[in-house]
Amino acid sequence: MFGFFRFVAFSVTHGLQGLRRNGLMTIAATATMLLMLLLLAGFWLVQAGLAAGVSYVEQKVEIVADLHDVPGAEGALTVQAVALEADVAALPTVRSVDFVSKDEALAQFRERLRERGQVDLTGYLDRNPLPASLEVKLVDPRDYDPVVQLLQDHSRVVDDVVQVQQLVSELTTVTGVLRTGGIVLLVLVGFVVLFIIVNTIRLAVVARREEIEIMRLVGASDAFIRWPFIFEGAFVGLLGAALALGIIALVSGPVSDFMYGFFRVLPIELGSLQADMALLVVGTGFGVGVLGSWLSVRSYLTK
Amino acid sequence: MSLRGVRKVYPNGKAALDDVDLTLGEGEFVFLVGPSGAGKTTLLKLLIRDERPTSGEVILDGRNLARVPRRKVPELRRKIGIVFQDYKLLPTRTVRENVAFALEVTGTPRRQIRPAVERALAVVGLGAQADQLPTTLSGGEQQRTAIARALVHEPRLIIADEPTGNLDPLISWEIIQLLLRINELGVTILMATHNASVVTALRRRVVALEEGRVVRDEVGGYHRDD
Repeated sequence: MFGFFRFVAFSVTHGLQGLRRNGLMTIAATATMLLMLLLLAGFWLVQAGLAAGVSYVEQKVEIVADLHDVPGAEGALTVQAVALEADVAALPTVRSVDFVSKDEALAQFRERLRERGQVDLTGYLDRNPLPASLEVKLVDPRDYDPVVQLLQDHSRVVDDVVQVQQLVSELTTVTGVLRTGGIVLLVLVGFVVLFIIVNTIRLAVVARREEIEIMRLVGASDAFIRWPFIFEGAFVGLLGAALALGIIALVSGPVSDFMYGFFRVLPIELGSLQADMALLVVGTGFGVGVLGSWLSVRSYLTK
Repeated sequence: MSLRGVRKVYPNGKAALDDVDLTLGEGEFVFLVGPSGAGKTTLLKLLIRDERPTSGEVILDGRNLARVPRRKVPELRRKIGIVFQDYKLLPTRTVRENVAFALEVTGTPRRQIRPAVERALAVVGLGAQADQLPTTLSGGEQQRTAIARALVHEPRLIIADEPTGNLDPLISWEIIQLLLRINELGVTILMATHNASVVTALRRRVVALEEGRVVRDEVGGYHRDD
C-alpha cells in the first residue's frame, strides 16, 4: 500500500517535472491541444446551432385547416370544430392543435398589417371575411398524412386543408442533409483532432526516448516508465481544455450577441449547450492526452 | 554468470554469436575484446536480457534468463550496473539527480535514496560536483557519474561497454582505476573494450571474440602473447 502511494507520487511529480524540463515540447503539445479543442468546440457549436435551427424550422411546419364560414351558423360550427380539435389532438403524431376563431384570425391579420405599417381597411368591411381554422403542429413534420386524412374526412366542418406535402418533403430533405452533414463534419474534425494530438504527444515522447531507455536499463518497471508520461498527457489535455474553455468563455458573450443579432429567430439554449460543450472539450482533452501517451510509450516498452 | 552454447541470429539473418561458452566467477574482472562487429555488444545485451539467444542458455545468478518472465526483467536489471561509451546521462538533471534517478524509477523510498546516492558519489569521487549538470562536466566526470549510477543499486555485476571509448588515455586510466577499485569491493566486472594498452598492462582475464566466436580466453594482453 505504501509502495503504491510512492508510485503515484513518483508518477505525478515526474510527470510534472517532465512538463517543466521539456518546456518547449510541453508548450507545443498544449498549444496543439488548445487549437484542436477550439476547432472541435467551434464545430460542435456550429453543429448544435445548425441542429437547433433545423428543429426550429421544422417546428414551424403546421397543417392549417380552414373551416367553413357560413353566416349565422358560427356557433354550431364552433362546437363541431372543438370536437374535431379533440380528435386531432388524440393522434399520436400531433404535438399541438390550436383553434383560431374568426375574431382571433382577424385580430392576427390586423396585427400583421400594423407591423408592416399598412393601412388597416378591415374596419370598412361589413363582416369578418376570414374563416376560423385549426392549426396543427406535428411531432415529426413528415407524418402529416393521418392528420390531413382526418381533417379531410370532416368535410362538413373543414372547408380546405392547406397542402403541406410539397413544402414538408422539400424542407425535410434540406434539414436532413444539414443534420447528417453537420454530424459527419463533426466526426471528421474529431478524428483529425485525435490524430494530430496523438502525433504531437508521440513527438514529445520520442524527444525523451533516451530517458525511457535509461529507465529500462536501470531496471524501472513498465508502470514506472509509463505512468509519468500518462500523467503528463493528462495534464497537457486538461491544461489545453481549460485554456480552450477560458477562451470560449471570453469570446462567447460577443459571439452570442452577434449570433442573436444574425439569427434572431433561433432560440438556441446556450446554457445547456455550454455544459455539453465543456464536457466534450474536457473529456476529449483528457482522453486524448492519456490515450496519446499510452500509445506513444507502449512502442518503447514492448520487447 | 555463464553462457552455454549461445547462438544469436538477428531477424535480418546476421549471426552475431555462434556457440559461445563463457563463465564468469564471482568477483572477477574480465575484459571482452575483439574487432567491431565481433559480437561484444550482443553478448552484453544478452546478459541484461535486452536480447534473447536464438539457442543456448544464459545463466545469471543461477537463473536461466530465457525463463525469466518479461515483468521480472526490471528486477533482474537492478542487480546489474551498466556503463556505456556515451554515458547516457540526462542533460537536464544534475549529477546527484542522475544517480538518484536509478533509485527513484525503481520505487526506492526517499529516505533510502539520499544516503545511497551520497555513498555512490563518494566511491567515484564526485561529491563536489554533485549539483552540476552533466554538460558542465568533463568526459571523465560524466563517465564517473554514469558509474555512480550503475553502483547505486549495489549490483554484484557491472557491465561496461567501451567505457573509455570517448576518453583520452590519461582519463581512461582514471576510469579503469575506478573500476578496479570497485572490483576490489567484490563486484564482478565485465568490460568490453578496444583499449589495447589498458588490457595489456593489467594482465587480467581476456576473452577475445571474433566473428561471433570466442577465439581466446586467458589471462594476458590484448593480443595473443605468442
